[in-house]
Amino acid sequence: LSKKVQAIYLWWHKPVIDRELLQSLPNLKVIANSGVGMNHLDLKLVASFGVKMANAPRAVSSSTADAGMALLLASARRLVEVHHIAISSSMDYCEADILGVKVSGATLGIIGMGRIGYKIALRAKAFEMKILYHNRTQRKAQEEKAVGATYCEKIDSLLQQADFVMVVVSLTPQTCNLIGKRELELMKPTATLINISRGAVVDQEALVMALQTGVIGAAALDVTYPEPLPRDHPLLKLKNVIITPHLGIKTDKACYMITEEAVENILAALNGLPMPSEVLPS
Amino acid sequence: MWYHKPVVSKELLQSLPNLRIVASSGVGIDHLDLNLLSSFGVKVSNTPFIVSTDTADLGMALMLASSRRLVEGYEMAVSPDTEYFPADWLGAEVSGATLGIVGMGTIGYKVAERAKAFEMKILYHNRSQRKKEESAVGAVYCKKIDDLLQQSDFVLLAVNLTPETHKLIGKRELELMKPTATLINISRGLVVDQDALVEALQNKVIKAAALDVTYPEPLPRDHPLLKLKNVIITPHIGSATKKTRRIMMEEMTESIQAGLAGLPIPHEVL
Repeated sequence: LSKKVQAIYLWWHKPVIDRELLQSLPNLKVIANSGVGMNHLDLKLVASFGVKMANAPRAVSSSTADAGMALLLASARRLVEVHHIAISSSMDYCEADILGVKVSGATLGIIGMGRIGYKIALRAKAFEMKILYHNRTQRKAQEEKAVGATYCEKIDSLLQQADFVMVVVSLTPQTCNLIGKRELELMKPTATLINISRGAVVDQEALVMALQTGVIGAAALDVTYPEPLPRDHPLLKLKNVIITPHLGIKTDKACYMITEEAVENILAALNGLPMPSEVLPS
Repeated sequence: MWYHKPVVSKELLQSLPNLRIVASSGVGIDHLDLNLLSSFGVKVSNTPFIVSTDTADLGMALMLASSRRLVEGYEMAVSPDTEYFPADWLGAEVSGATLGIVGMGTIGYKVAERAKAFEMKILYHNRSQRKKEESAVGAVYCKKIDDLLQQSDFVLLAVNLTPETHKLIGKRELELMKPTATLINISRGLVVDQDALVEALQNKVIKAAALDVTYPEPLPRDHPLLKLKNVIITPHIGSATKKTRRIMMEEMTESIQAGLAGLPIPHEVL
């Protein structure tokens, strides 16, 4: 059977692609990943076996951007907290204690203005938010103008001004622990950190400290390290934290489109044609 | 007046001979008998426009939270029993879906502006067509509410409560909706026939509901709506942000001061 395998469709990091597996599949030509993040793959190792790789960048962008906005709004308006109050068996609450933060007109800082980050900017603009962004490179003037976004060459400038900081980078050695103690201390004490990228982009221990001591106001995390967190982790108990189970791409539509993209890439690779979303080891 | 208290009845008005003005918080005035107040020579004011943006934001928040199963997801993420996140746990996509807005006033229009950025297809039903606003947000007018109900993935109610909109959404309307559709109510609890809604949700006639408003508020603690897994309820927080509440209080104070000074009243309700 192992001689027959020509393609692998990697769903949610399984199977683990290691040297033994690659050695046992001599005719493997392509690995298609379900999703856009490739940090769980050793790209150089796979390439050394002559196996091509692909991800699914187009399929994930809208659903992940939607998830980012969902977390931003849920956190600002304290949705999870007040829903539990609304359905709890006790009716004891004070109206003044459930006030949230106004989203419209607030400042959103987007760290990572790729496909997903840009879609977030488009959505945030409709909420009349002021948009700042930090990226490896500045976007074209007309792209910036279309969403009214201002480039912050230094991340510090973004962190100091934003009411909501949304992290939308891919995980690389450069972005690991991108948001640490220093960055959190630059943020406003009323600011909210939203992470829809990868858990490891944020120094989780520093985040816990920052939330416990009021260095920042709140956090909303679709991703953590590891997933799920150990059941006794402090993040699970903090009142000002919303955690969701990595649901960024988990919609019926996105899953369908991811599979379509994967199949396109697999067929192209097997037929020796250019692949629509090939990922090269860089 | 905050949250409909005190109740403005004939007895109360008779006991307050020098009452000149009732300043009501928020935009809705369905809890006030305007004819009764007028007969006592008491003026009324509300805070109409300042609440619109926050209420529209909340409508979007409820739509996104419901479709992406945010509350359920949170519970899974923090539950002591969770060992892994199941691979087949999915929500529904908001981007590109069809939103039907019932009531295209200030709030309904702000919802449309936001939904447009999510590449949603927007339908609306309103007492009158709004041609200029339509083209700005790419919304399609449905003269018959049935057309909107049959095509929408999300039905959002943004009407005010009047005798005409009382129980606007009943058994018939719920049955016209898609079985995969979600009802979002940011208007008033009485716009929906609540018993019909419970039945529709229990029998999967519609998929889910997200309600910022119910009747009464709060619901009795044994009410079925509190137990349904496919329902999100929030305690009437449409305008509940620090910034907006502050401005509402400022506006109410201005109205009271003008009323007492015999000057024209900002935001007077006639």
